[in-house]
Amino acid sequence: MPHPLLILAIAALLLCLTAILIWPRKGLLALWQNNRRLSSRVLGEDALKHIHKSELHGRRPTVESIAGALQISTNETAVLLDTLQNQQLLELRAGDIHLTPDGRDSALHIIRAHRLWERYLADETGFGAAEWHDQAEHLEHHLTPAELDALEAQLNYPTHDPHGDPIPSARGDMIGHGGKPLTALPVDQPGQIVHLEDEPSIVYAQLVAEGLHVGMPVRVTERTPERVRFWSSGNEHVLAPIVAGNVSVVPVPAEAETAVGAGYETLADIPLGSRAEVVALSPACRGAERRRFLDLGILPGTVIQAEMRSPSGDPTAYRIRGALIALRRAQAKLIKVKREST
Amino acid sequence: MSTYIPEEVDIKQNSNGTAVTETTLLQTAEALRWQIGRNFHDQLMEDIYTNAARIADRAITRAGEQPRFDLDSTIDRIVTSRRWGFPLMALLFAVVFWITIVGSNYPSQALAWLLVDTLHPLLRSGADLIGLPWWLSGLLVDGMYLATAWVVSVMLPPMAIFFPLFTLLEDFGYLPRVAFNLDNLFRKSGAHGKQALSMMMGFGCNAAGVVATRVIDSPRERLIAIVTNNFALCNGRWPTQILIATLFIGSLVPAYLAGLVSALAVVGVAMLGVLLSFVVSWGLSRTILKGEVSTFSLELPPYRPPRIWQTIYTSLIDRTLIVLWRAVTFALPAGAVIWLTANITLGDRSLAAHLINLLDPFAWLLGLNGVILLAYVVAIPANEIVIPTILMLTVLVTGATDVGSGAGVMFELEGAAVKDLFLAGGWTLLTAVNLMLFSLIHNPCSTTIYTIYKETGSKKWTLIAALLPVVMGFMVTFLVAQVWRLVSGNW
Amino acid sequence: MTQTDCTTCPAHHAGNLRRLGVDMSNFDYVVALAGNPNVGKSTIFNALTGLRQHTGNWPGKTVTRAEGAFAYGGKRYKLVDLPGTYSLLSTSRDEEVARDFILFGRPDVTIIVADATRLERNLNLALQVLEITDRAVLALNLLDEAARHGLQVNDRRLARDLGIPVVPMAARQGEGVDALLQAVHEVATGQVVCKPYRLKSGSTAVQRAVELLTRQIQALFPDLPNARWVALRLLDGDQRIAQAVRNGELRELAQNGRTAPTPSIPLEIMA
Repeated sequence: MPHPLLILAIAALLLCLTAILIWPRKGLLALWQNNRRLSSRVLGEDALKHIHKSELHGRRPTVESIAGALQISTNETAVLLDTLQNQQLLELRAGDIHLTPDGRDSALHIIRAHRLWERYLADETGFGAAEWHDQAEHLEHHLTPAELDALEAQLNYPTHDPHGDPIPSARGDMIGHGGKPLTALPVDQPGQIVHLEDEPSIVYAQLVAEGLHVGMPVRVTERTPERVRFWSSGNEHVLAPIVAGNVSVVPVPAEAETAVGAGYETLADIPLGSRAEVVALSPACRGAERRRFLDLGILPGTVIQAEMRSPSGDPTAYRIRGALIALRRAQAKLIKVKREST
Repeated sequence: MSTYIPEEVDIKQNSNGTAVTETTLLQTAEALRWQIGRNFHDQLMEDIYTNAARIADRAITRAGEQPRFDLDSTIDRIVTSRRWGFPLMALLFAVVFWITIVGSNYPSQALAWLLVDTLHPLLRSGADLIGLPWWLSGLLVDGMYLATAWVVSVMLPPMAIFFPLFTLLEDFGYLPRVAFNLDNLFRKSGAHGKQALSMMMGFGCNAAGVVATRVIDSPRERLIAIVTNNFALCNGRWPTQILIATLFIGSLVPAYLAGLVSALAVVGVAMLGVLLSFVVSWGLSRTILKGEVSTFSLELPPYRPPRIWQTIYTSLIDRTLIVLWRAVTFALPAGAVIWLTANITLGDRSLAAHLINLLDPFAWLLGLNGVILLAYVVAIPANEIVIPTILMLTVLVTGATDVGSGAGVMFELEGAAVKDLFLAGGWTLLTAVNLMLFSLIHNPCSTTIYTIYKETGSKKWTLIAALLPVVMGFMVTFLVAQVWRLVSGNW
Repeated sequence: MTQTDCTTCPAHHAGNLRRLGVDMSNFDYVVALAGNPNVGKSTIFNALTGLRQHTGNWPGKTVTRAEGAFAYGGKRYKLVDLPGTYSLLSTSRDEEVARDFILFGRPDVTIIVADATRLERNLNLALQVLEITDRAVLALNLLDEAARHGLQVNDRRLARDLGIPVVPMAARQGEGVDALLQAVHEVATGQVVCKPYRLKSGSTAVQRAVELLTRQIQALFPDLPNARWVALRLLDGDQRIAQAVRNGELRELAQNGRTAPTPSIPLEIMA
């Protein structure tokens, strides 16, 4: 019989080979799929999307910027742009790249697909915020307009994706978020997050890790070239200005802010035996979770009493409209409350 | 898609309703939806609750003062207290298991005596009497009847005791408190506290455990509970563990410690199963299941005095008999297959012998042997018949003539004789340990697989639930075998 | 709404109730049993049909739809136990099964089982049911438990506010079964006509939108009894209802009235 070490070595080798083959994202299979993804159609669509976004932001799309966005060489980009021009999706005027009406439609379709899919992932699945973008980036090229219309209907015609970006309607209408960068919000002026830029993903991951989401109230306390310090939902955050610039906010009147800002607590802060009145459900409470809360009668105005805590520390049981319902800490944090004075 | 209707005109213009069609109706609805804003669902729920609160308020009068003694919250304070919560829970379940084990001992023996020792020989001689050909009586009596009798006698008594007891706790309202107490542990592995209960049920029977996951109302956590239920060592596998532990592990230590050590070994395997279900839950919730919707809510209903007789009756009908019936329908064909593999000969040897030879090299890699693997293949319908099948096949392979009842006839023996037979079949301590491990970590029985399919309605999840544990079992036994051989220097 | 004097008799006097178990042939009326989880729906189901369907003290135990039958007052009734839900608005599988049955199955009477100890939460579902159907009876269950908690529920007041018969019950003790049968019988045979409570919205924008849409729906389907509810669902973007408008299901429903055949509804929850 062979030596056990030899057998173990062979097994380890087989395991490695399998891993190399099917490892998510970096495995050969994934790379092969990725390669297929980078077909000329997909690249073309990505290029159109890039040009459209550049135009929106008032930047001038160049061969270099497209090459950078698509991560291909400038030569390949030139060939790609040539093809798109032949398809009459874009035109070159005075050395500038412009979309034709068809090209704009095409770009809008891709953006619509991307943002609708993100909305779908956020509302109807359990995927976390860090995963939405990558999945949508892949799927946006595979959804037909008819599928999008069905998806849009299923999601009840959302107007914005979970990052706060407007979703173009089938006719191409969009409602902008109208925010300005957090770095431009005056110190002590209350504001509300309306948009989180999801590219580049490293910066977005940092925003997600900070627990920021669209709809959160903010108040900047310090702004220097090195950092932006601000309060949001009872926590203090410090971000580098380049990161904070990816957060868009709208200023809100001071009195509106008091409703959710000052003296603001979540259900998780309520000590056992105390009662609190629900002020609002956090916008981060979406989809199935939100509907469940509403069904249980967790609504603005509902009085909730914290009754007992699990001996393991979590969850906590709350008396909600006569029933004893256990909620986890992370869930209780989604419910903004005003403590009842006893 | 939508045509915007200007805010000012729409109400008046469309109110006459003359030219309304299905299409314009939906268009109007859509246009209105833009006007009333995005929070309509929230608004609607708020309206309903406001209305409900007003009506309820008018109808209810509270007695002047609250009753001084609130039984529910008193019980709750005790069963969820930091000091008493966990000990009380452990005690209650220890009592349930103790009653089950002690209580099922006698009826199990009685059933085995009746169905296997008495009725089986009777049926055989009856078959001879009416002149059935040997192969037909073998197939029907030795194969199908005996397998079924075995399953019934091992399975029925513990289930008939365990399920009603469990149901009483459930009806009383205690089980949601268990989920409440343990949820933190399960949350950390991405699961739902109620999984504690489906696991507990799984110790009785995995098929019943899978059905019990219905109380988990979050799709992701429910799938996790279904896929990992198999790691709860079920009633059908305890006898295997106890037998092997007694024969091989207990004999390693002096006689006065043997009982304790073998019991610890069995409990250790069961604990390993619990640990594995946490690990696998954690893995599943972060990989293939992370896209499934997850919401947590756990209602703690008021305590209600259980109605004992009705509970016993319904849990017998609902759980025990249904599970038993499914097991029997799977055991019948399995008995036939077991008998046939042992009695169909190809060339000079039986089909079973050929299959065992075929499986032997692979089984050797896993530290098992071809007999064990074949037994697990043909005895997939019920873990209860694995040991009898292994015994029968070992006799077949070793050619021992002084034990057993002939090819294809399952049987059981008393301790020492079993060990001699196993040793003759080439078993070592490694074989025994790996059999215990494989008995814990292998595919669910076909009854459970079928139940998983019924509950999930998905071929994909059924396949994953069936294949994941068996692949893990191969990996674990393989590693143990190689390391064992390396350390012992014996291969 | 009358309660029989003898509620404590061992063999309760449920009139001329004949429990028919699963024999559901030739029924005259279809009765649906709706309610929140864990309010004693199954106890009532078992008391009426003589079946012994077991569900534990757990929210969400009846996942599948159970059916049984009974005869009362010379009529045969088919009883359908719907999954226990908190609401009919969300999109969980259970709620869809319950909602679809009440809407498309058009039961002759819907019994709404409510827990007297958590009336407010139970009325949430009751009000939703009353938006869909006007032939309903509220079984006000667990009154014994409510009394233990120092709560008294004025069932007459409740009946007046809701506009449907309200039957006080303690189903585990067999109390009120008789009165429930009587109420179901009266509603089914048309001796009692319900005038169910209609939701009032706090927002005028919503009120206007609902009114406008309701009028249009009434114009399109004059015989539809629950136009307002359909309007609410369309405004909420309920695709199932939009689809029913589009493919003519709703038109059929409006035209056929209560003779519409019971649709078969898939029972597995995780299809």
